[in-house]
Amino acid sequence: MGNPVIRDDLAEAHRLAWEHIASPGTWWTAAQRVELARTVELAIDDDEPLPPWVGVTASDRLPAERVAPDAAHDIAYRIGRHAGTITEDIARAAMEQIGELPYVELCAIASSVGAVVHFCRNIGIEVPDFPEPTEGEPTRRHPELATAELNWVPVAAPADAWAAVVQAYTAVPAEQTNTWRMADAQYMPVAEMIHPDWMRRPGGLSRPQTELVAARVAQLRECFY
Amino acid sequence: MLSWSSAQTGDTADLTAVAAGAGDTHHDHGDALLRFATACAERDDDELAAARQALVDETDEAFMVDAAAVAGNFEMMTRLADATGARLPEPVLEERAQAIGVMGVGGLTSRR
Repeated sequence: MGNPVIRDDLAEAHRLAWEHIASPGTWWTAAQRVELARTVELAIDDDEPLPPWVGVTASDRLPAERVAPDAAHDIAYRIGRHAGTITEDIARAAMEQIGELPYVELCAIASSVGAVVHFCRNIGIEVPDFPEPTEGEPTRRHPELATAELNWVPVAAPADAWAAVVQAYTAVPAEQTNTWRMADAQYMPVAEMIHPDWMRRPGGLSRPQTELVAARVAQLRECFY
Repeated sequence: MLSWSSAQTGDTADLTAVAAGAGDTHHDHGDALLRFATACAERDDDELAAARQALVDETDEAFMVDAAAVAGNFEMMTRLADATGARLPEPVLEERAQAIGVMGVGGLTSRR
């Protein structure tokens, strides 16, 4: 089988995701974001993965010269490879070291890398390299924040007005936008989620077929949510 | 979500098959989809290639790409949920108690 044809909206969402990673973020520079994204990719591809409790910066798997802090690389590797083992204590320790909102941004980088890397593997194509990081400073802007009952991370106020997965990245709006643009193309538009008979196209996956795939992947990733 | 969408469309979702990774899912192409989804989340490249081809043979390439994208989406959403400590409200947990039992996920570290 040659390279499969990828529909335009999906290809564009993934192209924009890679471009987004290589752009200055809200808390991390573009160079730091690309470096952390590479650590996530390394974690996913690692044939002999480190156990969850070993930091990747204690190994020789990363370049010696780095622009992002060790604590960020360590949690990036763990989210990339062992996300189901993360406890509240581990997340809070990472947030204490790198900051709460930089942690949220890092989670978003890691989760979007997870989607693209696995999608490419799933259809049997090479993962595209990240673009060159662009110049510029992080914006360091955030909306009014609130403490959530449904997440460990701070969210945009008001808290817990939406489902936990929907509000998780709202404290870093650029990541929220990128994540849900990807979800629209990969899964379904949020507005369609209440429609059990929604299909992307005639003859495509039905809603139950879609959920079958989702349920199996989530189970094998040991994700309770 | 599988239970909900199946109930809404009048289908019968068999979570037992999904949990086991084999068996009758009661959905068209369910066996091929379940095999492909399993291979997407595991690390056997030969099995992934075979499962991909089997799904294409049974459906078409665009269907396989859509299934691959859904699998990719849940590589994203599981990391989002687990890294940010996403929690289900208690009433939702009660509604899903049976599905949680069948899927065997009640004892996971990621249950919060």
